[in-house]
Amino acid sequence: MRLDSSRSLLIRLLMLAVLVLVPPMGLASFMALDRFEQGMNPELDRKAAAVGRDLVVQVERAVAYGIPVEKLVGVDEFFAQVLSGNPEIRYLGITGTDGTILFLRGALGGQLADHYREQAGSLSDKDGATLQIGDFVDLALPVKGRSGLVGSVHVGFDQGYISSRLFSIFYDIAVVLGASLIVAFEILLFVVVFNVSGPMKLVAEVIGQGRKGDFSHMPGIRADDEVGHFARVFNASMRKVDSAYRGLMAYIDEVRTGHFDRGAAERAGDIADRVKFLFRFDASGAPGFLREKLSSDVRLPLFLFVFAEEISRSFLPLFAQSLPRRMTLLTPELMIALPIAVFMAGIALGSLWGGAVTERLGSRRVFQIGLVPAVLGCLMSGLSQSVIELSLWRGITGLGYALVTVACQGYISKATNDGNRATGLGSYVGAVLSAALCGTAIGGVMADRIGFAPSFFVSAGLVVVSGLLLGYLLEKVPTSPDLPPAAEGDPKGLSRIFLNWRFTVLVLFAAIPAKIALTGYFFFLVPLVLWGTEHTLPEIARIMVLYPLVMLVVSYYATRFADQWGWRVGQIAVGGILGGVGILLAALFDGTWPLMLGIVFLGAAHGMSASPQLALIPDICWVECQHYGRTQVLALLRTLERIGSVVGPLLAAVFWPLWGAEGAIVAIGSVVLGMAAVFAMLAGRYGDGPHLESEEGAQ
Amino acid sequence: MSWSLSRKVSAALIAILASTMLLTALFGFYRFEDEVSSLVRSRYSFVAFTIKKRVEDSLNLGFALRQLRQVQDAIELEKTRDEQIVGIEIYDSRGEILFNSDRGRIGASVPDEWLQPLAEPTGQPFALMDEDSHAVGLPLVNSLGKVEGAVVLVYPAGYVERELGGALWRLAGQMAGIVVVFAVLTILAASVALSPVRRRLAAMEAALNTALGDTPAADGSAAAPEVNAEFDGNFGEFVAKAREALEHIKLSTEEVERLDRLA
Repeated sequence: MRLDSSRSLLIRLLMLAVLVLVPPMGLASFMALDRFEQGMNPELDRKAAAVGRDLVVQVERAVAYGIPVEKLVGVDEFFAQVLSGNPEIRYLGITGTDGTILFLRGALGGQLADHYREQAGSLSDKDGATLQIGDFVDLALPVKGRSGLVGSVHVGFDQGYISSRLFSIFYDIAVVLGASLIVAFEILLFVVVFNVSGPMKLVAEVIGQGRKGDFSHMPGIRADDEVGHFARVFNASMRKVDSAYRGLMAYIDEVRTGHFDRGAAERAGDIADRVKFLFRFDASGAPGFLREKLSSDVRLPLFLFVFAEEISRSFLPLFAQSLPRRMTLLTPELMIALPIAVFMAGIALGSLWGGAVTERLGSRRVFQIGLVPAVLGCLMSGLSQSVIELSLWRGITGLGYALVTVACQGYISKATNDGNRATGLGSYVGAVLSAALCGTAIGGVMADRIGFAPSFFVSAGLVVVSGLLLGYLLEKVPTSPDLPPAAEGDPKGLSRIFLNWRFTVLVLFAAIPAKIALTGYFFFLVPLVLWGTEHTLPEIARIMVLYPLVMLVVSYYATRFADQWGWRVGQIAVGGILGGVGILLAALFDGTWPLMLGIVFLGAAHGMSASPQLALIPDICWVECQHYGRTQVLALLRTLERIGSVVGPLLAAVFWPLWGAEGAIVAIGSVVLGMAAVFAMLAGRYGDGPHLESEEGAQ
Repeated sequence: MSWSLSRKVSAALIAILASTMLLTALFGFYRFEDEVSSLVRSRYSFVAFTIKKRVEDSLNLGFALRQLRQVQDAIELEKTRDEQIVGIEIYDSRGEILFNSDRGRIGASVPDEWLQPLAEPTGQPFALMDEDSHAVGLPLVNSLGKVEGAVVLVYPAGYVERELGGALWRLAGQMAGIVVVFAVLTILAASVALSPVRRRLAAMEAALNTALGDTPAADGSAAAPEVNAEFDGNFGEFVAKAREALEHIKLSTEEVERLDRLA
């Protein structure tokens, strides 16, 4: 086990997390289900008794009029009416005194006949009897005429009815458990990196210097655990070597300055030179503390922040739908789409502004500044009384979201170098996607239980927690100001990048349609369509979780594939077409499965094409990247693709009243597929490697 | 209080376990409460429906609602059958209570919100609730489709807590027990899982103390081989280098002392 690498220790602790979370949850769920079933059984019996009593009264009334039980008319229709109004009742029946089935609805006679015949006559002196017949629980009530027992009324329900009703609890438990495991992973990752592998990386760096004779630094570790204790012992050793050196140098200085024999003084100087040649010590008089920013410093706060923001993912359009729409100029669908579109516009605006602000104020300040609109936006979204209010606060939340995420990206970018930047950004993407997974899933369950507005308040609370955590963490890492921004060209001239046809095509026909599909189909249409087809909020959330889940898996392999084979343009083209086809598939067939398939396709499409889009930029905008900086060009791409994010829900909302929900899905799918097809056709002309000629022509 | 690594990991895992259990228990309880409530509501709706049918049959025979004296006996019978029922009442379209399982309430008026469902053209069942009680109601419609009034059955709120509260508290106790047992296991398991880290750090400390301490090993190579695996063997090299630096500085100091003494 290497202490300066988190992998092996993390795997060990993850196994521990699974061991201490899954068995108790399984045990508790089993016990709870058993107890719940016991609690519901008497209620089901009472219901069956109430229904049975009513039937007995009706049959006895008919018998009292002199109608024999077997001659009763319209019993089947009556049973059908009762059964349809009481879904927990499986069947209703009437038997004669010998147990012969006279009327039965909801079950096959063959399943019950033998049991009824065996039971015949046993009811004469009873108020009723409950019998277990196969998978059914049968309540038999005697029907009495003037001459005594004339037959029995049977009310039956499925033995597994309660389990089936309670089974949805298992989904909720699975969602909470899955989310808990992801949260456990994030927290353990943080514990391991922050307490073990991060500090030990510093130790490793100092050791690496020390083995070459450089004793100028000590690891700057402040902890009271075993690693902290080791660091104190380590630093004491370093100080010992350093103080021995300082003592020698002081002595040599004394000899050189005070000795009357110049030869001895010169020889002492030679000794000093030899020691300095062999070993290196800090010139300031004591070894300096080595402290380092790690890209993982911001991972947990970022995870919590995105988790908080994603809580409303599955129900935002539904919340908008439930609010009064005071503006009559827009159609109801456009009003529902407005909060999503304005949120995305807020993100676009924040992204434009966030990069420059981060360069000026530093990541920590911008993160803290971004928390203010984020918290305010979440709180006020919950308190909104109209769609316009909600849209406004979602816009402000979007602004905060952009500032926070840009600040985190900036922090990671500065905490990494060219060699480990991909790992750092991978950590960022991993945190965002796993937070999306948890937030969406938990958000649905939570909103179903506590409502839309309180769920926004929970979001606000989590955002505050993420801010506090970040404040605590960044106090522990070096407070040195961020490095000055790299000298970059005038960003105003960046607009000339559109003369680079490859960049323009990438933005128009790959990046923007991908976002149209995401916000128009996934954020807007999917929740509304699922809600319209009687799905509950937790079900909608569980379905929507498929997107980040698939994307997480596919992007992992797609990035490797892109790096290995360099087929970036192809991946973007295939991804775009896949997304469009997936959405169209969702509308071509009825039911929930096609919609889920569409989400899976979209997740795969975006997982396949998101990273290659970024990786392609240095190739197709080689000159612009040199001139304005890669960060500026990438930020421009990210901002421009937000046009698609804003347009997506609005476009879907325009299509909906024209062609209905399915028509809107087809239309969005067609738009995405059409644009992706254009990109695919032009992709063949992209060629390989850095493109200098066209850009030179554009200068 | 000093926080060892295993204590930190244990605390994190126990916090996650407790909050997961709490969240799951809450969601599970509320889902269960929903299911039981819906079953209870459905049963009482059925009881109200049987009364409605009986009343409407009489209305269809041409009787006025006010005249159906036998309905009073029927609702009293239903009330005695189930002690959970707070009351059953039938009121006319103006809100006057015509029949009530509590005879003292006959002639009184129902709250205004009980009249609102009667104005709905659908004639659908309705549910009303306040802090103490829930009510299920059904409009009484004559053969001409005119709403004559409604039958409402009132049952207490918090039915689940009262009926199953004891069992649920026992369940909560058992769950707390599970959390405690697994918390103890977590502490033990975390200690075991992190023991290699502790051992290695201790070995490295020992190597440093032995090599650079006041009483170094005679050969000066100290315990470097023990920790050779750390940092790809760099730690051993580092210890050796530090030892070498100390030795070199010591020899250099002795050399300078000799030069100094030459005076």
